[in-house]
Amino acid sequence: MVIGSGSARMGLRDLVKRSSGISRSGETSRARTVSISRRRLSRQYYILTHAGKLVFASGENEQVQSLMGVAQALVSIYAAEDDRPRSIIRGKSRISFLLKAPLYLFCVSDWGEPEHVLRTHLEYIHLQVLSIVTSTQLAKAFQRRSNFDLSRLLEGTEHFLHTLIKRAQHDFSYLTSSLEPLRMAPSLREAAAAALMPPAKFRDLLYVLLIASGRIVTLLRPRKHSIHPSDLHLLLNTLAASPTLTSSETWIPICFPKFNPAGYVHAYISPVTEDITLVFISADREAFNDLQGWKDIVVEKLARDQTLSRISQAIPLHSYSVSAVSLPGLYHFIYKSRQSIQITAPSWEPPYDGAARDRLITLYQHLHDSLHAKAGQAEPLRLVYVKTQHEACLGWMTKPFELYMAVSPHLSKAAVVSAANAVATFMSKEEARVFIKDAPVF
Amino acid sequence: MSRTTSFKLVLLGESAVGKSSLVLRFVRNEFSDFRESTIGAAFLTQTVELNETTSIKFEIWDTAGQERYKSLAPIYFRNSNAAVIVYDITQPPDTSFEKAKSWVKELQRQADPSIVIMLVGNKLDMESSRKTPRELGERFAEEEGLLFTEASAKSGDGVEELFMEIAKKLPLAPPPQRTLAKGVKVQGKAEETPSACNC
Repeated sequence: MVIGSGSARMGLRDLVKRSSGISRSGETSRARTVSISRRRLSRQYYILTHAGKLVFASGENEQVQSLMGVAQALVSIYAAEDDRPRSIIRGKSRISFLLKAPLYLFCVSDWGEPEHVLRTHLEYIHLQVLSIVTSTQLAKAFQRRSNFDLSRLLEGTEHFLHTLIKRAQHDFSYLTSSLEPLRMAPSLREAAAAALMPPAKFRDLLYVLLIASGRIVTLLRPRKHSIHPSDLHLLLNTLAASPTLTSSETWIPICFPKFNPAGYVHAYISPVTEDITLVFISADREAFNDLQGWKDIVVEKLARDQTLSRISQAIPLHSYSVSAVSLPGLYHFIYKSRQSIQITAPSWEPPYDGAARDRLITLYQHLHDSLHAKAGQAEPLRLVYVKTQHEACLGWMTKPFELYMAVSPHLSKAAVVSAANAVATFMSKEEARVFIKDAPVF
Repeated sequence: MSRTTSFKLVLLGESAVGKSSLVLRFVRNEFSDFRESTIGAAFLTQTVELNETTSIKFEIWDTAGQERYKSLAPIYFRNSNAAVIVYDITQPPDTSFEKAKSWVKELQRQADPSIVIMLVGNKLDMESSRKTPRELGERFAEEEGLLFTEASAKSGDGVEELFMEIAKKLPLAPPPQRTLAKGVKVQGKAEETPSACNC
């Protein structure tokens, strides 16, 4: 890891030199204007059926029925030409579409974000719907009646979608399709994982998770199955949206679309303490009794060496301040380990609350867009630097990590580079605490 | 010393008739006007003292009333010793009461024949907005041989009583379903591999 970040550091200096060279010699500049609105309204998200029936609207809108009609007509016009609308820009607003027959989804936003952000949100909303009503059930229902009223099947789950949308606005783990585990001592995480090792007889067991205050402590999986981060987001979001799940034992059918969009798996959800929840995922819908019996053994192990109470103590220590890096001029950063697909970020501190936080998130999203060439750019960039009157932002892609960083706009370029290197060094020391490393498989 | 016998009980009925509220009143003596929908099924237990020598431990499946979970209901009622089928007296009879009737039919077809069924009209505290007359429930219960009562999870009226009445009807010999050898599955599931089921 040290070697990795060392070579990455060399790479950064190199990149900066090269890009300065480009602007001096007057070659094609890669600079582009990013316009981020100063005043943002809440984004509006809609789901309708291909017959134009409203399924879900994120906000209040009196004319929502006629809006559904317009949206359906638009899609049909394009469909007649064998085409599909992706995005409409009108003034400062962008309307993005995601067509997943029999459902159409669209979002209206005036934030000035890159297009892929809205598409990612819409994709998550679609996946959350599938987690409730599987693609098989959807297809069957619409085969029987093409003007089927889906809102009936989704009854009682509107809250899941509202919670998802709320979380996706500022949580970078959605955009980067990664996890942000609970920060804790690696030895504590290992102790928890050891207690969760399932007996061999549970043939249909898929995943075993320990969750504290909505964040993953550890996750065990069978050798032959990996788990997609977006499936985990759906699970965590379902838990976050349903306080009742953390008050009594529950057995719920849930579909993990990236695992199998056609069917349910079954989640045994057991609140262990007020903040700590055990989740066992099984493909066997009759497994409740066996899993419940095993839970007692797991809880006893977790309690025996104080693991449970130590995890509780770790919860309030999860957040850290950007000042932990002790680097004057560093405002905020988001660090993603590309190998473990996990992110970490210091807490949002003033001035990054309210509008300023929205602005910085949107800037980060533009950096993300450039590093991943999401908007059809010729190639992804390895380094992006954006300066506004409020802050300077750097996006930096290396083999082991992605870094999004905000610093004082008064720092020189050289100082920004050394700040980025300092964050990389800091993170290489912190990785063991902020990320789940080597979670056991069974 | 009193002997405790465990029985499985399942709650069934249309969504939002107050199944979870009845259970939480019985188990925790709690009530909230703003409960979100149950998803899947919640598992709770409560022990009641039947007499000086006998206690009954209810293992309760509080199932979600939504249509999308309908196909999963047999998981919960198949091994149940008792079922509480709930409807909302403030709704017209062709809605949640009609649904309750169809649950009764389903149990008669698919559940253990010895299952004790209690039909409950909930929301008795809202007598003034009643739309399903008591006699309708009473008559149907009588025809089908069910226990019947009306109750209010909100005020607590009749809640403990309904579970006690079930307790009295349960056979005091140990229930049979737990005698299965551990690890033996009733159905042939050899073909099932860890991938999601296609329900």
